[in-house]
Amino acid sequence: MFTIEVKSLSKSYGSFIAVDGIDLKVEKGKIFGFLGPNGAGKTTTMKMLTTLIPPSSGTMNILGIDGTRSPLEIRKKIGVVLQQPSYEPTLSVEKSLEKYGMMWNVDKKIRKSRVEELLIAFDLIDIRKKKNDDLSIGQRRRVQVAREFMHDMELLFLDEPTVGLDPSARRGLLDFIKSKVKDGLTIFFTTHILEEAEYLCDDIAIINKGKIIAVDTPDELKNKFGREKTIKIHISEQKNISALLSGISGCTIERDSGVLITVRSIQSEQVLQDVLKILSSNDITVEDLSVVPTSLEEIFLSVVKNSNA
Amino acid sequence: MHEIIRLVNRNLTISLNMGFVIWQIIFPLIYIFVAGFAYTALIHQVPFGSKTLDYPAFIATGMIGFNIMNSTLISGIIIWNDRRHGMFEQILVGPFTRAQYILSNVYTIGIIGLVSAAMITAIGYPLFFKQVEFNVLTIPLVVFASITGSILFGSIASIISTRLKSSEGFNVVINTVFLFFAFVSTAFYPAQGAPLILSTAFYFNPLTYLVDVVRAGIFGYFNGLVATEMVILGVGAVVLFLIATKLLSKLEL
Repeated sequence: MFTIEVKSLSKSYGSFIAVDGIDLKVEKGKIFGFLGPNGAGKTTTMKMLTTLIPPSSGTMNILGIDGTRSPLEIRKKIGVVLQQPSYEPTLSVEKSLEKYGMMWNVDKKIRKSRVEELLIAFDLIDIRKKKNDDLSIGQRRRVQVAREFMHDMELLFLDEPTVGLDPSARRGLLDFIKSKVKDGLTIFFTTHILEEAEYLCDDIAIINKGKIIAVDTPDELKNKFGREKTIKIHISEQKNISALLSGISGCTIERDSGVLITVRSIQSEQVLQDVLKILSSNDITVEDLSVVPTSLEEIFLSVVKNSNA
Repeated sequence: MHEIIRLVNRNLTISLNMGFVIWQIIFPLIYIFVAGFAYTALIHQVPFGSKTLDYPAFIATGMIGFNIMNSTLISGIIIWNDRRHGMFEQILVGPFTRAQYILSNVYTIGIIGLVSAAMITAIGYPLFFKQVEFNVLTIPLVVFASITGSILFGSIASIISTRLKSSEGFNVVINTVFLFFAFVSTAFYPAQGAPLILSTAFYFNPLTYLVDVVRAGIFGYFNGLVATEMVILGVGAVVLFLIATKLLSKLEL
């Protein structure tokens, strides 16, 4: 059984279709990345899955519960970190965590120990007495994410949780999330930072204009859409080598600055041999050479571009 | 613990800070003692039903209603703050329904209203104790006025919270509403003797009914007019509460 199972889910606002008949399956204990450009339908999908808004059509089964019939039953078992900030301005950091635990009916003793654990895990010890209103955006975001771990849940929705965090806090949060998945938690994760998705997610779906345009593991997405590699050649002196390399078949010269040339090709090994041969026969010294596999970001951009076309 | 109790607990925690409590005590105290005694030179006594009240006793009892309005308008902005700071959505993706959220705000407002009424009654008691006439209706009348008044003013604040988006607009509207309710009412001065337009305007103001019912309870004066005022207050509270609930349940996320 899947933790999330969605069939033909749609949401329309008048004539505007925000989400257009999407199908999704998320396995238990996995991190599912949900990527897409701005306005693609990520947050609307998230709002439907968290039962904040009802779908216009389609079915959704969350944790074995019909999402349209028993939304409250679902909400009792999930955690949600929304994209927009949410905080109590008059409460201190530790009071926020404590009160949030109380709202979820967490036992007082457990609340107390969890507050201490989360203050440490999210590096909030030094600001525990500070009021939320006095925190920086990043600190407030950390409190918002930490707060969600005050209660037990089977499924956690994270809508761009690392927005406003510095690199160290970001990595700390991602590692914390990974540790929770080991305990059996399932995570539905949206982000704009594709490195995060690559680092964290077991499966990734890309949504554009309300439709899912690709779903797979990060590696499979790379295999499917990222067979092309980039060859970067740095030469010692300024030369017009575009003309020399133009005869090589199966490659595209992407950039030529005179000393740095970038070539893209699916048959990168063959192209690399041909490039080196030509450079050698023309007495051109290579300073640096690298072959870079296509990143998830490039795949994302290419898949979205193709779907727009 | 029931969901509504948990939400009320949360609402009280975020609403009751030291500044709020001091404001709730100091503000009416200034009116009771400064205005009460300063105006005594101008307004010696005030007719109230078959009785004649000293002005300090009149204003002290008016301040009970005033404080209920004041506190519930402030606590009514819980919804405004929740929307502004993202907690409205956060609560609704938690283990709560909209109905529970709305009811928790009503209970919070009711509690704050009752406590405010009790506080000002205790503080103002030395000023009106000589003219008090407790009877079997005293406590029911004061409690009725406190609860219906709290719901009524809390609903008004909730309605404003759901309709306005900018904080500047919200502050302007709340302050205007507050000034109208506070000073175009019988909280500070009696309707008798005021210019006709003003005394008529007093009765378009729910605070007048709230204050009159509180005074009727404290000074043991109950007649047909007070009964009518109670009905208007009750109906007004129910209607405004229903409107507030409707608007809140339709609030887009």
